[in-house]
Amino acid sequence: MSNAVIICRGVEKTFRTGSQEVRALRGVDLEVGPGEFVALVGPSGSGKTTLLNLLGALDRPTRGELTVLGQRLDTLSKRQRADMRLRSIGFVFQAYNLVPVLTAVENVEFVLEMQGMSVRARRDRAIEVLEELGLGDVLHRRPRELSGGQQQRVAVARAVASRPQLVLADEPTANLDGENAEILMHLMRDLRDRYGITYLFSTHDARVVAHAVRVVTLVDGRVASDIAKGEEPPHVIVPGVGKAREAIAVP
Amino acid sequence: MGLVTTRYAVRSIGRNVRRTILSVLGIAVGCALALTMESINRGRDELFARMGSESGVGHLRVVPANWDAQRDVRLRLADWRFDLEAARHLPGVVVATPRARAQVLLAMGTHTVPVELTGVDPVTEPQAYRFIRNVTHGRYLRTGDHGVMVVGKAVAERLDATLGDEILATSVGRGGRIESTMLEIVGVVATGSDEIDAGISQVTLGDIEQLTGRSGAGEVSVIVSNWRRADALREVLAARVAHGDEVLTWDQLAPEMRGHLEQDKATSRFVGIIIIVIVILGVASAQLAAVLDRRRELAVLAALGMGRWRLARIMIEEALILGLLGGALGLAIGLPVVSYLAHNGLDFRALLGADWTFEGAIFEPVIYGDFGPWIISYVLAIALGATLVASLYPAWFTVRTDPATALRAAP
Repeated sequence: MSNAVIICRGVEKTFRTGSQEVRALRGVDLEVGPGEFVALVGPSGSGKTTLLNLLGALDRPTRGELTVLGQRLDTLSKRQRADMRLRSIGFVFQAYNLVPVLTAVENVEFVLEMQGMSVRARRDRAIEVLEELGLGDVLHRRPRELSGGQQQRVAVARAVASRPQLVLADEPTANLDGENAEILMHLMRDLRDRYGITYLFSTHDARVVAHAVRVVTLVDGRVASDIAKGEEPPHVIVPGVGKAREAIAVP
Repeated sequence: MGLVTTRYAVRSIGRNVRRTILSVLGIAVGCALALTMESINRGRDELFARMGSESGVGHLRVVPANWDAQRDVRLRLADWRFDLEAARHLPGVVVATPRARAQVLLAMGTHTVPVELTGVDPVTEPQAYRFIRNVTHGRYLRTGDHGVMVVGKAVAERLDATLGDEILATSVGRGGRIESTMLEIVGVVATGSDEIDAGISQVTLGDIEQLTGRSGAGEVSVIVSNWRRADALREVLAARVAHGDEVLTWDQLAPEMRGHLEQDKATSRFVGIIIIVIVILGVASAQLAAVLDRRRELAVLAALGMGRWRLARIMIEEALILGLLGGALGLAIGLPVVSYLAHNGLDFRALLGADWTFEGAIFEPVIYGDFGPWIISYVLAIALGATLVASLYPAWFTVRTDPATALRAAP
């Protein structure tokens, strides 16, 4: 039995808008193993977001088999899918999508609260994760008081705070400048190394792709190429980020 | 619900301050209007109960079995003295008085007037029947009186009689025998209403027993200190009266009065319901607008794993907070209004004159609002109930929203 985190077999997704049908995915076959750091690339409209939505149990495939973390997603009820998103999958969105009326720490706590974690435990965990991501001094700021890079780091903290096995990120660096994009990618890789999280992220940014161990290219709703790099790209610890860890300059 | 979720609900209300203020104001005005109407309704209940009972109906009345079905004045109680004692020992009783009635033809000279002659206890009757206190000529009946009567001004005028005149009273006695007696007018009552005055003809209980040949009383009328307890006291008294007698409440005795009251209440409650429906629609509209504004945000929460029920609870929680704020403001607006109505009343004298007669009872056409501890629970129930109902559609809309579709939509 495969220990793959993601298994797609002939996954298709068709959207109907009025009398028109749009075939967003046309038979995707994909397998992602635990701890992999995979970039999903392809032109706009190639089906990257649709595939991430299906893998994130937000949507159901029109055809095909989709297994994530050993669960056949196409057979789960809405409630079971919501529970899976809550406990096993983390999301990072392009537009950060933080709750604007909550502070950074509350945004992270919110998800932990949904999981039923006690008040003390979730507060401690939220602070710990935010400090790990170098946000210890902005815990009580609301999103509008944070820079884009900080907001996206809070979003990453929210995604990983519950220690999910899989994190799906939809163009997480699209709204960030080069430096912040670099920092974010290093942070995500660092968290993968420490917690064994599997990452699948869509991107258009070549610098971001450079961080991936494996690059899957989607074209017209199909996997056009699936390239695994021979060795891990250079990885550094971001200055000022992480508790009691040695700071190394970004190359 | 957890702390962050509650903070989220509370702070979300503050996102659009103008919309929140308008919603709270709408709830407050609706609550204040509903409160005012309910206060007047309760005040009108009180007025009808008080005036009706003091107009001779009583809050409770002990009557012979089957009296309610037949309404026959010839029926007599199984043991009226026993019933009277039982009524006088009832908790909260103000007065209990016995009566016996008979259909009588009064005649003087060429004038005749058919009346319902009432035999009464001269001591307790004025406490139970306030109109009889308005003796404008002569005096009221006294214990031991025999062969004398008190009549209403309208009766005296129709008989063309005055104080000291002797009136021939004729009635059908036992076995269908015609019985007559002479009664001297010792007092004339003028209530200001011809309708009431035409119904007043009283003698002592002994005289009516003699005239009709039927001993005893046909009823024991009871006034209690708290008319709202009439139903409960009826149960108590019914268990204590003589076998064969039964106890009725004022609304059973005067169903036409209760019917009129219910009709009035139904009308004003209908208006109240319209007000509440408008409030519900207003709040639902504002809530739905708030949900649409945050469609993407709510979709993100759903994407992060927030269950549908929890999402719905957030919407409901936000609505209930609005309801609490609206209810508090509604109390602040409504309390002075209701307090004013309780002290000064809603005066209809310009429309109806000084007194208004209905079904033999005179009403002062001033309705005083009811003011009591019920106001707080009433306003909170209206505010929270209305906002709870108002939140159902936005909550349903939220849980029905597909997160993937909402996330695909423009940010």
